[in-house]
Amino acid sequence: MSPKQRIDQQPAFILHSYPWRETSLIVEAFSRDHGRVALVAKGARRPLSALRGVLMAFQPLQLDWSGGGEVKTLIRAEWQGGQPLLTGRALLCGYYLNELLVRLSAREDAHPALYRAYATALAALARGLPIAPLLRRFELAMLRELGYGVGLEVDAESGEAVDPAGRYVYIIEKGPVSAPDYAGELPTLTGRSLLDMAADTFERPETLTQSRNLLRALINHYLHGHELQSRRVLKELQEL
Amino acid sequence: MLPSTLDELIEALRCLPGVGPKSAQRMAYHLLQRDQRGAGRLASALQKALVVLRHCERCNAFTESQVCQRCASSQRDASLLCVVEMPADLAMIEQTHAYDGLYYVLMGRISPLDGIGPRELKLDRLLARATDGVVREVILATNFTNEGEATAHTISELLNARGIRASRLSRGVPVGGELEHTDSGTIAQALFERRAL
Repeated sequence: MSPKQRIDQQPAFILHSYPWRETSLIVEAFSRDHGRVALVAKGARRPLSALRGVLMAFQPLQLDWSGGGEVKTLIRAEWQGGQPLLTGRALLCGYYLNELLVRLSAREDAHPALYRAYATALAALARGLPIAPLLRRFELAMLRELGYGVGLEVDAESGEAVDPAGRYVYIIEKGPVSAPDYAGELPTLTGRSLLDMAADTFERPETLTQSRNLLRALINHYLHGHELQSRRVLKELQEL
Repeated sequence: MLPSTLDELIEALRCLPGVGPKSAQRMAYHLLQRDQRGAGRLASALQKALVVLRHCERCNAFTESQVCQRCASSQRDASLLCVVEMPADLAMIEQTHAYDGLYYVLMGRISPLDGIGPRELKLDRLLARATDGVVREVILATNFTNEGEATAHTISELLNARGIRASRLSRGVPVGGELEHTDSGTIAQALFERRAL
């Protein structure tokens, strides 16, 4: 157990919360300098609690907490504002981002760059920007920030630079391999799409489709068979 | 070692929300030692409720008959259907005396991270109810939390695809509220959603 410490005015977002005991809440927060932390918000479910309206997901907050154990005690939460609440499809996609962070990031692993990528993605969702490019950008940034190497620019077998005119099959944990005639289960991409991803430009429809397939395969791989509930809900919604 | 019957009772009490091992033990001792008559009443009330109560075919709230009194009433406007999360929300709207339509109680809300989606909420039942040919407008009165908002969005998409008008409770500064004493989140959203006069 690490020594008891107090963290003040830490920029953070709430990823998820669930009831704890009669009147309290346990929140999973994603903070800029301390990564994902579990905090108990005492009395946050009382009718007149000042925390009630503040501890909402997708809103920029500033949190104070203290404690040395796995679950810390929330002392103060302040709403930072400036961002409309998410609505509609953007809201459902926000849940997807949160679930990715809850499932894939380790507790108390600081990832300031991932925090920035997340804040940027939420701001874009709140402003109603096209959803697909911002999701792909976040997924790629997240995988790289969490230390899963995603090679995009070099052929993993020949060691040569990816040719924009070539066709590649992506072998997970290895990288793209030139395979002009491959027709199997693994994600395939054109060299152009790979280079677009490396340059963080998700504008061409082909890049969007191919990067979507690749990132989905990568995320599924690192989830080790765990189904994403937010993805299931979105799918069910389309089926109804 | 506790006798197994007592153990079983304590374990059973833990199914209540917010009740951990300590509270369950306290409740069990209280029921057995201090209030045996209360314990008997609780046991028979629970047993009866399980047998007698069911979901109203039309509004999904608890009732003893197939269709609850409110849904069967001819005094209410059957062309309006108000969707709420929980029975407590229904009671609150009834208290306003501002609504004379019918209700549908979801008994929950969509919460993707908890694995609660359209299937778990049985939204197909609501859709069947709303497309009975009489309902003209569905008022979405789910909570103004992210989950409530996600629920309202989901339902409105499904209804719009079927040509039924969906509306949402409006949100903003409370009646009689002074800006000085209103939380900034509410004021911010009221600004984002301001309307023309």
